[in-house]
Amino acid sequence: MSSTGTWEIGEIKFPFSEAFRFSLENIKKRFTRAAITAASVVLGIAFMNSLMMMAAINQQVSGMGGIELYQYWLLFISLLVCAVGITNSMLIAVTERYKEIGTWKTLGALDKHVLELFLIEASLIGLIGGLVGYIAGLVAAIVYGVAFQGASMAAISAALFALRTLPMPLPTAPALLILSLVVAVGISLAASLYPAYKGAKLEPAVAFRFEV
Amino acid sequence: MRYEYTVETEDLAKYYYMGKYVVKALDGINLRVRRGEYLSIMGPSGSGKTTLFNMIGGLDRPTRGKVYIDEVDISKLDAYELAWLRCRKIGYVFQTFNLIPVLTALENVMLPMIFAGVPREQRIKKAIELLTAVGLGDRLHHKPGELSGGQQQRVAIARALANDPAIVLADEPTGNLDLNTGLEIINLMRTLNKEKGVTIITATHDLKMIDVSDRIVYIRDGKIERIETRAEVAVEL
Repeated sequence: MSSTGTWEIGEIKFPFSEAFRFSLENIKKRFTRAAITAASVVLGIAFMNSLMMMAAINQQVSGMGGIELYQYWLLFISLLVCAVGITNSMLIAVTERYKEIGTWKTLGALDKHVLELFLIEASLIGLIGGLVGYIAGLVAAIVYGVAFQGASMAAISAALFALRTLPMPLPTAPALLILSLVVAVGISLAASLYPAYKGAKLEPAVAFRFEV
Repeated sequence: MRYEYTVETEDLAKYYYMGKYVVKALDGINLRVRRGEYLSIMGPSGSGKTTLFNMIGGLDRPTRGKVYIDEVDISKLDAYELAWLRCRKIGYVFQTFNLIPVLTALENVMLPMIFAGVPREQRIKKAIELLTAVGLGDRLHHKPGELSGGQQQRVAIARALANDPAIVLADEPTGNLDLNTGLEIINLMRTLNKEKGVTIITATHDLKMIDVSDRIVYIRDGKIERIETRAEVAVEL
């Protein structure tokens, strides 16, 4: 890289595949913590899906419905609460790992590597939370349709899986799956940005001095 | 390249500002450590041992003065260069072992080599070699939680040597170990020092360390009180 006068500074490497493996390992080994963080995503995404799918079922059954403006507001607030929950959870995860972050840095990790580790972890948690939330929302909507709207399975299936008119190119359910995953990963990443940055900026000496 | 002094400090000082008070953790340390030397820094707790450890290791920046590692002033290094220095030039051993808890012994030893860009096959080979050298050839796939304190410290020593550093810095390496285990760790470090010619600097108040040290630096209140070479110590004993 650059010369300091008497010896050469070389390159520091940290392949994405290794970072991904470590993040995955972290989620597996600290499953409870990851599950609590993911629960926040699950709830928000489940609410989003149930709301939209119930509206679709209503429309199929009675030809009326759709989503009111105040429901969008509700949805927005619930996703915001979800984000705050993730931030809180990730802050604790970062604080718990101060010593570990310090250790990573003594071994040669740069700020961006620590950031990368936490953000990959956040994306994976978002992805898993989004998927589980989607399934939970789908189940809730079907139960709602059958139990409260007296809808037949055929009607529900038509509401969720029939091809829609343009501009929506996909049936409701698969479209919502994509939306769920994008929103879940997006929220999880955005909410983890500050905790991950805080951890990444940590100087090793400070990290080791800190007692939890 | 060979340098006569692996570590040199020049009027090294670190002050901490606590409101109105200034705590002088280090206050004008001048120290030269020869290549291949086994040096112990002794002093009571609060004397500045750990601060000196952090300064030499590039883990913290001094308030005043300079630290040279292999003749390069490390206070002039930027974040990237400092990370490279920590990765390649220095191996760290801590009182609390500081292994990555979710990784196995083998993976812990391989970690610094990932940053150094060593190919995977070579990483595995070297890590097995090092773990065997510290007597853990049969514990490669154990996680830190499945190892005793002494075994964890052996993994940490193997990890410290992964990139063939110029210096191994150890901060109270025997502080969390019982008498016998501590002695084993000290002997292991001395053996590695002799065999590999790696410079070892330990901050300690473990008197067992005196027997193996080439020189002992006593510090008190952030200043060097006296320096003894092993010959003098032997006479005193």
